[in-house]
Amino acid sequence: MMLMPPFELHRPKSISDACDIAAKLLASGQEFDWIAGGTDLIPNYKWHINSKPHVISLAGIDGLSTISMTEIGCMARLHDIAESGEAHPLVAEAASKVASSLIRRNATLGGNLCLDTRCFWFNQTEEWRSSIDWCHKCDCGTGADCRVIPNQNELCVATYQGDVAPTLMVLDAHVHLIGPNGERKIPISEFYKLDGMTRNVLEPGEFMLRVTMPEDIENWIGAYRKLRIRDSWDFPEAGAAAAWLKGDRSTLRVATTALESIPRRHDDEVAESNGDVKAICDAIFRTTKPVNNTALPPRYRRNMIKVLVKRACEDPL
Amino acid sequence: MVGEDFVSMIPAAPSEIWFGEVNGQKKEVIAKSNSILLDVLRDKAGCLGVKRGCDMGTCGCCTVMIDGEPRLSCLTMAHDVSGCKITTVEGLSDGSHLAPIQQCFADYGGSQCGFCTPGFLVASQALLDKNPDPSEKEIACAIEGNLCRCTGYQQIIQSIQAAAAIHRGDAEAVASNNAAHSDPHPSGPEI
Amino acid sequence: MSKDYVQQAGMSKEVRVDGKRVAGKMRFNPPGSGGSRPKMAERDLEFIPELEGGNEAQPAGGHFQDSYRTGTTVGKRTPLVDANAKVTGQAWYGDDIRLPNELIGRIVRSPYHYAKVKSVDTSKAEELPGVIAVSTGVDAPSKFGVLPVTKDEHAMAVEKVRHVGDLVACVAAVDEETARQAVTLIEVEYDVLDAVHDPKKGLLDVDEPIHWRGPYHIGSTNVQKRVFQEFGDRESLENTTKAFHNGKWKFMGVNHGFTEPHAVVAHWDPNGRLQLYTPQQVPHYAHRALATVLEVPMHQINVIRTFVGGGFGGKSDPFPHEMCAAILARKAGRPVRITFDREEVFWVNRGRHPSHIEVKINANEDAKISGFEIDALIDGGGFASFGHVTSYYNGVLATAPYELGSFHYTGARVWTNKPASGAMRGHGAVNTRCAIEVGLDDIAEKLQVDPIDLRLANLLPPHSKTITGFRITSNGMRQALERVREGSNWTEKFRKLPLGKGIGIGCGFFISGSGLPIHWDPHNFPHATVHLQIDMDGGVTVHTGAADIGQGSSTAVAQVVAEVLALPLEMVHVRSHESDTSPVDLGSYSSRVTFMNANAAIGAALEIREKLLNAAGEMLDLEPKMLVLNDRRIYNKRDPTIGVSYLDALHKSQEDIGALIASGAYRTPPMGGIHKGAAAGLAPAYSFSAYVAEVEVDVDTGLIKCTNVWAAHDCGKALNPLAVEGQIIGSCHMGLGQVLSEQMVYGRTGHLQNPNFLEYKIPSVHEMPNVTPIIIESCDPEGPFGAKEAGEGPLLPILPAVVNAVYDAIGVRINDLPLTPDKVWAAISKKMKKLKIDDPRELPVPTLDYSELQEKLEERSDEHKLRDSRRQRMEDKGPYLNGVLFGLDPTLPPEEQDETWKISVKPDASQLENLGLAGTAWTKKEQRHMESGK
Repeated sequence: MMLMPPFELHRPKSISDACDIAAKLLASGQEFDWIAGGTDLIPNYKWHINSKPHVISLAGIDGLSTISMTEIGCMARLHDIAESGEAHPLVAEAASKVASSLIRRNATLGGNLCLDTRCFWFNQTEEWRSSIDWCHKCDCGTGADCRVIPNQNELCVATYQGDVAPTLMVLDAHVHLIGPNGERKIPISEFYKLDGMTRNVLEPGEFMLRVTMPEDIENWIGAYRKLRIRDSWDFPEAGAAAAWLKGDRSTLRVATTALESIPRRHDDEVAESNGDVKAICDAIFRTTKPVNNTALPPRYRRNMIKVLVKRACEDPL
Repeated sequence: MVGEDFVSMIPAAPSEIWFGEVNGQKKEVIAKSNSILLDVLRDKAGCLGVKRGCDMGTCGCCTVMIDGEPRLSCLTMAHDVSGCKITTVEGLSDGSHLAPIQQCFADYGGSQCGFCTPGFLVASQALLDKNPDPSEKEIACAIEGNLCRCTGYQQIIQSIQAAAAIHRGDAEAVASNNAAHSDPHPSGPEI
Repeated sequence: MSKDYVQQAGMSKEVRVDGKRVAGKMRFNPPGSGGSRPKMAERDLEFIPELEGGNEAQPAGGHFQDSYRTGTTVGKRTPLVDANAKVTGQAWYGDDIRLPNELIGRIVRSPYHYAKVKSVDTSKAEELPGVIAVSTGVDAPSKFGVLPVTKDEHAMAVEKVRHVGDLVACVAAVDEETARQAVTLIEVEYDVLDAVHDPKKGLLDVDEPIHWRGPYHIGSTNVQKRVFQEFGDRESLENTTKAFHNGKWKFMGVNHGFTEPHAVVAHWDPNGRLQLYTPQQVPHYAHRALATVLEVPMHQINVIRTFVGGGFGGKSDPFPHEMCAAILARKAGRPVRITFDREEVFWVNRGRHPSHIEVKINANEDAKISGFEIDALIDGGGFASFGHVTSYYNGVLATAPYELGSFHYTGARVWTNKPASGAMRGHGAVNTRCAIEVGLDDIAEKLQVDPIDLRLANLLPPHSKTITGFRITSNGMRQALERVREGSNWTEKFRKLPLGKGIGIGCGFFISGSGLPIHWDPHNFPHATVHLQIDMDGGVTVHTGAADIGQGSSTAVAQVVAEVLALPLEMVHVRSHESDTSPVDLGSYSSRVTFMNANAAIGAALEIREKLLNAAGEMLDLEPKMLVLNDRRIYNKRDPTIGVSYLDALHKSQEDIGALIASGAYRTPPMGGIHKGAAAGLAPAYSFSAYVAEVEVDVDTGLIKCTNVWAAHDCGKALNPLAVEGQIIGSCHMGLGQVLSEQMVYGRTGHLQNPNFLEYKIPSVHEMPNVTPIIIESCDPEGPFGAKEAGEGPLLPILPAVVNAVYDAIGVRINDLPLTPDKVWAAISKKMKKLKIDDPRELPVPTLDYSELQEKLEERSDEHKLRDSRRQRMEDKGPYLNGVLFGLDPTLPPEEQDETWKISVKPDASQLENLGLAGTAWTKKEQRHMESGK
């Protein structure tokens, strides 16, 4: 069996309890992780990757699973988002393509948005990683170098492989975060921070509450295209979402995922292309540089982004 | 626990009582705070029918029903589902009479080596409980998280379709060849 | 649960206090008193051969065991006899064995690819509270290995570690946590050596070869085995060649991917005997290896085969962790359980060899396959495993189903610092088969003929000999090709589908049991032995060592016994788990179990049958040959009312002796040539298959989706069509994985990059095409009731069928498996560049404009069809050997009638300069032939 590392699981019943526990752990200098559905954290913990002595579960908190056109709670399960018919079709579509139907019954929106970045030098057992002398993202105190791009230990280039984030980006969603210092709301495009280790703007003790979308969201249409070898289990090797106001292509927005350490909205590329889809594809191709750390080679993934963006822009749900 | 000054300084998982209704029977076991449901079921609750294939959510052998819903027990924190009703493969049959889904897996070749079978059975029973008339696509979606290396899935889908017919009442459960049903000593030709 | 479910017929309606129905309450009265099915069922004529007066068609002719058919179970769709255990979760696999007082074992593994072990310090681990036993390589110095000629494994590293994950030491502790902690406390000092990862480099001389074979070592290379085989006349090819194909292939290694990870429980019982529980396909060889390593006689070990959660060849070696568990348990005096994580399964591997294969095919002006040349370099990883055999199989299993003008094979297996490759479903035959079937597709294109007709006009007939001297008996290749052509609507689709859609053909040929046992056998031991025992109650207990790994071998054995004795299947109980009670069976490999074990079982059942008939005859005062067995009754064939019950006849024959006991055994007939390596690939029968696959290719992304497969497999006689279809569909799934997505990726640093099921991409339900299984019954003269294998052969054709279909769809051939979308996209891009087009939608697709050869081929295949059907039905019993198509006389060995026709197993000096990649292994001398030793 793959043995879990030792940690204490805390199961707060309310948001304030959760914040209290986090604050206490912070105050005593204890490290901890949040766990929602567990489909990302548990495999990593079983591999003894960056495990912490405390884990706070959000599963016991009621009221975080709302699903509506304009609001989705962070504990809403991907299965429910995909199946309930309440969420925006674009978000539902992306959720329905995550991993497998069984995993989606555990996985949550919050977990998917806060997904740890992935890399085949990193998502391995402890024994395996020790045999390559660790890597930058989990160096076990050795100061190990990045294995993807050697001789640089500044930036972690592990890949963000979440499916839902790009769809929320093109729908202009906001994320609501809460922590010991109170609640805040930021655009999801600003939630991610370019580094495979930092990943996002969550402060210590902070966690995601919900995602909200603009009032007119019903009038937006679009598509999400995912590249993967198998139609089950696989993370995206590349993904593209596009959305626009029905009947108004000038509002086109495009975002991509699984190409870099963060998902990214491509407003500049869209703007400079004057709505020409091929020009947008080429522009995004130029500005995106995947690295070799997922199943398929980066050159292929980079080229595929042209196909995915084109299909997302031209073939709405 | 909440609100107390509980923060311990050494990384160690405290033990807690885990309880659940496993296959209709109340179970109470001591399990560490960091326990995974699969480990509790196999090592503490005696449900060895729940299989460990990959331990990472990628094979579905450990699928169990939690409050009627199929879930991966290898990716579920045991204490998060404390108090829930859990059904494993051992809980599908009625006494030791096979449930239709079990009978059909046997009769239609849905099980070869049998290691993935418990997961498939639970996932498909959960599907049939909600939807006794699933399309082939719906069946495929329900079992897309289960890996079978022997059958190529085709006979599994046929098994599920046959069980669905029984659930709908379109077909009767028929004992298969290998169910004991005969006496070893006939009195003569049936003419 | 299951509220609306109707109670099964014949079951009790009695309920318990909790409302559930009472189990096991069948109206089973004392023997002889009637019961729930008091009347004999009528003879099921649908399952009695037509030559015996029944209605079962026999297009391929009769079988010598036909008269023992009773219409009971053979040929009927029969659920596996152990299915109920599996569907209720009661089947006990390796990790389900929980003995009282058990300890948990963990293994210390090498973090280096290749290193000398300087020292192992276990003192800190031993001091850890809760650690009961620690063991290292010094505890078990004896070497073992599945093949006696290549014993090169230790329980734990003795001198060197040979791949990341190789075993160094092991610990047993009271629980998992303690065991894992103890593993981290064992200090090992290594002296790191230069590792070899690329099999091509394995051909070179190095300072420190991974193993050293003394005088037999080839140079100082890492070549473990080299093969050279030449049959026929290769020199004259150049003048007669009309079409030539040269394909250079790269195949990635694949893993069996069984769902149950390895697990073992070892326990030394109070009498000092080892009880070892392990999910083994081949318990007997594990048994032998355990005796060697533990230095105890075999009779002091009881190997208990648990249910096996998938094998596919991956559980057929004796494994070091089995030794470790036994050693730890002996030291600790307590049972020890070791269960692998998925990653450890990949580290133990034994999967299909990563291979570089080059195939050259010449076709002459009559579209006959005049030249056939194969060069296969296979990457064996750190140990020999089954590799000695694999080295031969890569060549010799390509010598049928086609008639060849000449055959030339060079093969080499090299050690590299990777987990060992070994036997996997379709052992050694899969990769070469893919290469040659794609080659034939190319030849057909060059000749502008239909590839199916090309094949049909070049088939070896039934009851013939291959160029290497393999004895072909039954052969359903022609029917298989015809059936898939018809089923797939081939003629309407081939080369006529639009860009992105394609259809392709592939064939297969595989052994049904290996002619020689693995172990050295001076005593002519049988390959399979089955014991039957019937006590007063009439139930039949079958003792067999055949390992049911899910393929249904127990079911097949129960079926043939039930068939001969005309008993309901539930009266036959198979006991196959323990070596203490089972006669020796060589195990589930080489697709041998149904053929050999069922034959042995029929032998034993016939002995019982004779006793029963004699007793009944005595009671009825009738000649035994006047009696018929049918459903628990024996009666006069002229008047069914005159008869006795099975039980009465049984009791009569048990007078004075008690339980009836019988034993049956199977040995292969003598066969094969005398050249070096002639035994490799010999089998008492061979299976044949032909598949047509349909694919859709997304020309923008390179993603391939296989949509339909028509899969015809000649299994001789389907004892259980349900299981045969299961094997065919399952083989499609596994082969599809290898051709589209599965690969063991060794990265820049030589580490296995994807040792888990997320990144090792086994197809999910969504990738599975709609498979139409087509069973061809060619009735093998020596198979049990005509049966041959169906477990491995069906895997072969799917690979080339898909590759050929992809060519049909996009006009690009890719010789690098798996066909992941990036490779397909790169090939498309390259072609677009070459053709100077921007849009992949403008890609040209291949066309077929029949040449004048097409008609010739059709004529030839019509002639051959007649020939084959006469030979199949034994109406023509004349000899036939490969080469008759090229004008040879079938009554004389080819080398005696043609001077240029030769057999050689060693390259001569002139050939040494002209060898393929693997062939270059022959440029090195063995140490014993070198001037000075190393």
